[in-house]
Amino acid sequence: MEIPSVPAEESRGAQLARRFCRLAPAFSQPRPVNLDMLLRFGAHPVLVRVRDGRVASAEAPSLPLPSCDFALRASEDAWSRFWESVPAAGWHDIFALSKRRELAVDGNLQPLMAHLQFIKDLLAVGREAQA
Amino acid sequence: MTAALEPIVGRYVSFDIAGKTCRVYFEEAGSGIPLVCLHTAGADGRQYRHMMCDSDITSRYRVIAFDLPWHGKSYPPEGWQDEEYRLSTELYVETVLAFCDALALDRPALIGCSIGGRIVLQLAHLHGERFRALIGVEAADFQEPWYDTSWLHRGDVHGGEVCAALVSGLVAPQSPAVHRHETLWQYMQGGPGVFRGDLYFYRVDGDLRGRLEGISTDRCPLYLLTGEYDFSCTPEDTLRTAAGIPGAQVTVMRELGHFPMSENPRQFRGYVLPVLDAIARQ
Repeated sequence: MEIPSVPAEESRGAQLARRFCRLAPAFSQPRPVNLDMLLRFGAHPVLVRVRDGRVASAEAPSLPLPSCDFALRASEDAWSRFWESVPAAGWHDIFALSKRRELAVDGNLQPLMAHLQFIKDLLAVGREAQA
Repeated sequence: MTAALEPIVGRYVSFDIAGKTCRVYFEEAGSGIPLVCLHTAGADGRQYRHMMCDSDITSRYRVIAFDLPWHGKSYPPEGWQDEEYRLSTELYVETVLAFCDALALDRPALIGCSIGGRIVLQLAHLHGERFRALIGVEAADFQEPWYDTSWLHRGDVHGGEVCAALVSGLVAPQSPAVHRHETLWQYMQGGPGVFRGDLYFYRVDGDLRGRLEGISTDRCPLYLLTGEYDFSCTPEDTLRTAAGIPGAQVTVMRELGHFPMSENPRQFRGYVLPVLDAIARQ
């Protein structure tokens, strides 16, 4: 049987998305955060629903055109560098990434800014543990 | 007494800045060459507390850190409630010189970080003869904006929290958690609109590109120290600035971000002590 080839880049994005979906549900902080955030790891989307400061779900959207409050997208390479245990300078923060045009933020930024450290900490859950 | 009593002493001094009397809080420790310390935007002089407790520094320097009016324990001048705070290049220069005059400091050395680093360049340009040496930390003549400062002061976002969360990425990942969060706490404590008002100088009024001619580093040595993790004032920004100032001495500091003296004092002293040694030998 011939195994269909999968582009290496696509599978890397899928791996990153899976990693985030596995780790994010354990994230919570005691503050009243309620928002829907769409992440894109390369071509792979993950819809994150936060309710009362807890990640209620983090999964690939079940239907096209998912609605959200805001979206963040970056390449597989950018997410991989951002998630290194000690990221290199310029790859260590979402605004460092956006300043170098490696991360795009779209949508209504008010919920993002109102809960910015919460979102930053949530996005960092994929970071490899320090040795 | 067994409790850890630090050598830092805090006092208030009142003097006029731009025609308004300001009651300014400052802390100091040590004796010798006066070393005036300028804090970053939206913060206060506590950022220098580690240098004020370092006997390798205070044995030779009188380290003095003041809170700009509107910051820390310095109130805004009377009538503040009827105006929007905006720091300008002219006001900032006048504030620094007036503080040095108020304390009758004789050709002090001066260190400033971030907006304090930017004003170091302007002081070198206009008033180099008044200083023994100038140290710009995270200093550049210009840096590219990376967010809209209107987020810092609006009704539907907590000002202190968003200020701290925005700058949290400017702290290097290697910096100890205790110092990272102490640095961020100051941003959470700032008055409404004050960080944004400081950034008026940084973003709107204080573009010094092409305006720094004539700096004489023979008369007043200029040292520039920038952390590799500072993506606001990047090492490239500082190197570009220094390339236009003959004699400026630049060091890019490893494993440090935008708040070196505060976020990782142990790492920073490895870079600032050689500079202070050189100034003391002048």
